[in-house]
Parts: sequence; C-alpha cells; structure tokens
Amino acid sequence: MSESPETPFEPVESKENDTFSTETPVTGKSKMTAAWSSDEGESEGVAAVASLPQGQVFEQNYQPWNGTLNPRWMRNWAILRHHVLGIFRKGHRPWGIPTRLFIFFVILASCTDIALALLASLVGSTELYDMFGVNRNNLYGHVLGFWPRNILYFPVVAALLVGGMISEDRAHGTSALYFSRPISRFDYASMKFLSIAIILFLIIDGTLALYYFSEVLVMGRGWSWIIDTFPMFLGAFLCGILLSFTYTSIGLALSSISRGRFFPAIGLIAILMGTKTMAAIINGLFDKSTLYVISPYDSVAHVCQAIMGIDSSYGELSWTWSLASVIIINGIALYLLATRVSTLEVTRE
Amino acid sequence: MVEDLVISSTGLTKSYGPHVALDALDIEIKSGATGLLGPNGAGKSTFIKTILGLIQITSGDGHVLGLDIRTQGDQIRQRSGYMPEYDALNPNMEAIHQVRYSGELLGMNPTVALNRAHQALEYVGLGEQRYRQVSTFSTGMKQATKLACALIHDPELIIADEPSNGLDAHARNFMLNTLQTTVDSGQRSVLMASHLMEDVERVCSDIVLLHKGKLAAQGRIEDLKAIDKEIEVHVWGHASNMEAELKGSGMDVRREGRVMRIKHRGDESYSDILLAASKAGSQVRRMHDHEASLEDLFLVIMERLGHEVKSSDDLLKGVL
Repeated sequence: MSESPETPFEPVESKENDTFSTETPVTGKSKMTAAWSSDEGESEGVAAVASLPQGQVFEQNYQPWNGTLNPRWMRNWAILRHHVLGIFRKGHRPWGIPTRLFIFFVILASCTDIALALLASLVGSTELYDMFGVNRNNLYGHVLGFWPRNILYFPVVAALLVGGMISEDRAHGTSALYFSRPISRFDYASMKFLSIAIILFLIIDGTLALYYFSEVLVMGRGWSWIIDTFPMFLGAFLCGILLSFTYTSIGLALSSISRGRFFPAIGLIAILMGTKTMAAIINGLFDKSTLYVISPYDSVAHVCQAIMGIDSSYGELSWTWSLASVIIINGIALYLLATRVSTLEVTRE
Repeated sequence: MVEDLVISSTGLTKSYGPHVALDALDIEIKSGATGLLGPNGAGKSTFIKTILGLIQITSGDGHVLGLDIRTQGDQIRQRSGYMPEYDALNPNMEAIHQVRYSGELLGMNPTVALNRAHQALEYVGLGEQRYRQVSTFSTGMKQATKLACALIHDPELIIADEPSNGLDAHARNFMLNTLQTTVDSGQRSVLMASHLMEDVERVCSDIVLLHKGKLAAQGRIEDLKAIDKEIEVHVWGHASNMEAELKGSGMDVRREGRVMRIKHRGDESYSDILLAASKAGSQVRRMHDHEASLEDLFLVIMERLGHEVKSSDDLLKGVL
C-alpha cells in the first residue's frame, strides 16, 4: 500500500487558521483574546483561537478483484441494456431530452386510434367505429399509414435514434471502449441494431398490440372475433417488424458513415421522403408505379398490403418486386454498416 | 517460454500490402513495467493492436499472458486492460456510469461493475468527482477515468497508450505514481507506450524500442544505459593538456571548459584518467560516473541503428 500526500485533483483549499501573530494589530480586543485563550508560559505570544484541518489525505490503495467475468451473451446484453434503458433511466446511454419527449409524443399520438375506437364504442356510433375500430385496413394503417405515422412519427423517431448511434462512437472515440474489450465487430453492430430496432418495435408494435387488445377488453370481444381477427393482427405485427428493421438498417448504415448526429438523421428522412416523393411525381406524371421500388417505405407498404390481404395502391407493380426491393435495400444497408464498422479503430481514428 | 513473460513474440510480422508495419519482431516482455518507445510510425500502435488480437498478423507467433494472439484475442482482451491515447469516453455520461459500463462490456454483473467502478475511480483519484459528467472533466481527469475503465476488472496486464499525454505537471505526476503503484502494490504488469522518456524511466524498469517496424532495442533500462556510460571529470589547470593526454592514450573525450566527459572503458579508466592528469599537471577536483538519461540512450540507439542493432546485447557489444 502506498500513500500519496497530495490530493490528485482539485484539492480542497484550506482556510487560514485564525491566529495571532506579530503582525496582528494590538487592540484591546486582541489583548483580551490573547490573555484569556493562550496557555500559561507560551513564549511565542501566539494564541490559537480555532484550528481547522488543512487539506485532505488521499490514500491510494490498489484493491484486487477476484470475481468471474460472464460470457459473451452477458456482454451483448450489456450493450442492449445500455441503449434501450437509456430512454427511460439515467446512468445508461444519455439520449437527449428532445428524443425522449418526441418518443413520448409519438407513443401518445399512436394511441389516438385507440382513443377514437373507445369513443366510438361509448357513443355507439357505427360510422366512427368503422373509421377507427379494429379491422384489416385499420390494423394496416396503424403501422403503415403514410399520414401521419410514416411522415411525421416513425421516420422522425428512427432518425433521432440512429443519429449518433455509431457516428458518435467514431467522433468520441468510444469505439475503443468496445473493441478493447472482448466485443467483436459483429456483436457491436448487431446489438446496436437490435437496440434501435427494439425501441422502434416497442413504439410501433407496442401501440398496435395496445390497440388490438384494448378493443378485445373494452368491447368484450369473444373467442370467435379473436380467431377471425388475430391473423390480421399478426400480419400487422409482422409488418411492424419489417418496418422497424428497414428503417433501422438504413439509419444505422448512414450513422456508420458519419461522424456527427445531424447527417444520419437528415439523411434517413431525406431517403424515405425523397424517394417516395420522386416515385409519386413519376406516377402522377406518367402513370407509372414502377419507381416505387426505389422507395423503402413504399416497398415495405406494398409487401405488407400483400401480407394483410388489402387492395394494392401501387397499380400494375407486383408486390414481389417490392419484396425484392426490400431485400436489396436492407442488404445494401447492412453491407455498408458491416464494412464501416469493420474500419472503426481502437488506437486512433 | 519463460514463465514470467507477459508478452512474447517470434518473428512477428504485420504487412499492409507492400508496407511492412512490424518486421519480424522477437520480443520478450517480463512482468512488471515496460516502456514501449519509438518515434511516430515506428509501429507502436500496430504492435498494441496485434497483441490485443485485434488485427491478424501476417507471419510469426505471439503470446500475451500465455494466450495466442492469433486465436485467443477475446481472452487476451478480457485479461488485460487497455487505456487508449485518445478520448474514449462519452462526454455526456457521468464518470461512474462510464466506468461501470466499461466493466459490463467485459462481462461483469451490473451490480458488481458499479461497486468496482467506485473502487477504481477512488483509486485513480476521482472519488469525489465520480458523479460529474465527463464533459466537465479536465484532460487529467479524463485520462484518470480511462485508466479506471482499464483497471475495473483488475487485469493482469495494463496497456497504457501515452498515459501522460496532455497532462499538466501535477496530473502527470499523479498518473505516473498511480501506474507505479499498480505495478508495485497491485503486482500488475504495465506496458506503457510513450514519447516521453522521462515518464517511461520513472515508471518502467524495462523498455522495448521500435524503429520503422523493427526492434531497435529491448531490455532493462539500467543495462541499456551502460552503453552510454561516461566519467565526468572536473579539472583545474592545464585542461587542454590533459585532454590531449587522454586523447593520446586512445580515450574518447568531450570537453567543455574545465569539465570533461570520458567514455567508460572499464575499471582501468579511472587510473588512466588520473595518470593523464598527472602527466598534464592538472588537478582533478571531482570525478564521478555520469549516468545517461533514457533520452541520451534513445539518441545513441538511434545513431547506431545503421549498425544493425537488434538487441541490447548488440548495443552493448564493444562498449563495455
């Protein structure tokens, strides 16, 4: 054990003792204080009126640790936990207040169809219930309705989440914290991916499940209704997973090629909105829906229309083309992500 | 393999296309503190990445703590702690949670990691500041936090890359003391990469010197210093004559006024000097061995690199 007499950082400043010295002005008060507080026979003529401990003692002890380190799954769980719990709790990944507030807003806003369906049941309005109650189209709409969910809610949440996910590790050098530990590049990328996808999934599919099961509970639906509608719910659930996966893969790929938070976020929104707008313009001008295959949102929506068994809104375009497009878009994004993560440095960027 | 070797390599080579970053390194690093020296581009960072098992070597063999760097990188990184040279901390996290998370990334249970994070931060002198955000830290405090991250699991080997980089005298002093305590009191091994010879000399007993990817020298600092051993003599009167006498007897003399430095040739050097002083009629006022600093040693080694210096034995050859 060694002892360092100095405080390593920011030493506590000591206060001067209140003492009498030769420079102390000789006044009636000081004479009295010196006379009554000094010990008899004190030759220096200095009376210590009060004493304060000076400085602080810093004892540096190296404490060994004999614990056991858990295997790979625990390390991966730590990454996942760090990112997902950061949304709710302090001490984990520090998500910004705007991100947390926006997620809260999106969750609330995604529950509007639940509120309106409940309102319809309360007032007994069949028109209102047809608009907002659980059915094939509304389940699809909860996940893939363009307005407002896929223009205002989900892409913006995804953009806020993926923004600094990998780019900030590159900018702050925190990638070294991962790769100097027994964390492989695959584990790093896959856990980051899962973290974002899980948060998106909780928002999209969580509110979908709430929507479906609140109808079951509030409207007192029986087993026959559940058996009829549950496959539709599962279809919409699968669509939510596909949407979360696609937004996450594109967003993380953009984050991996950047050093900041802004570019990946704005890039994701630009890709999702830009491709859709371009495809819509071409469709409007030339009555050709083929260009929708370049739009990630439309490709997922088209595939999900096929899954849900609702009428296609993409004209002559076969949903298999959209499926191929979804696979290719995700493939390219994941390839880019893997390539960029493999270049993250440990010693210096 | 010698039992107390923490790092060893045989013919370790790493090439990036035509560029050879590490050229057939035969290195043996014993337990304790070892300095990894070399100018920019010498291959220090590549060597660190190699021994951490982060990059595949082109040829040769290497072992860290008895583990193969080719196949057991995960276990090496689990049993060692790496303190990077550059910022590796999330500025928006509190130090305690940053260190705790670094422990969790090693596989520590969250509760245990938090407990150890408190101990590690206390050890590196940040006990009172552990709940402060890293962004509010000074460079010294950030370096200390990185060291705490490296020490959280009590590793057998700590690899510190430029630990005193950018620190003021006070923080630098504390950092070096801490590393020394880790070696002396904690019985841990430290591999310290640094450009600052003085820092290496203060903490380390051994050095490994790389130059252009090749091993320039390795061994105990004390042994290596012997290659530049000189005798310093302060004379009074006839200094020029004495210098001529010494040179006449084949000694290597450097003179500045009344102070001379004479290359040590063995025990007979002292009597030769006194004889030369007697012949020249000079008074020897003071005579003592001059100990070269590591900086001097570094320069000597660099000067001799053209002579195919591979090990301390080569450097010592013909000197003593």
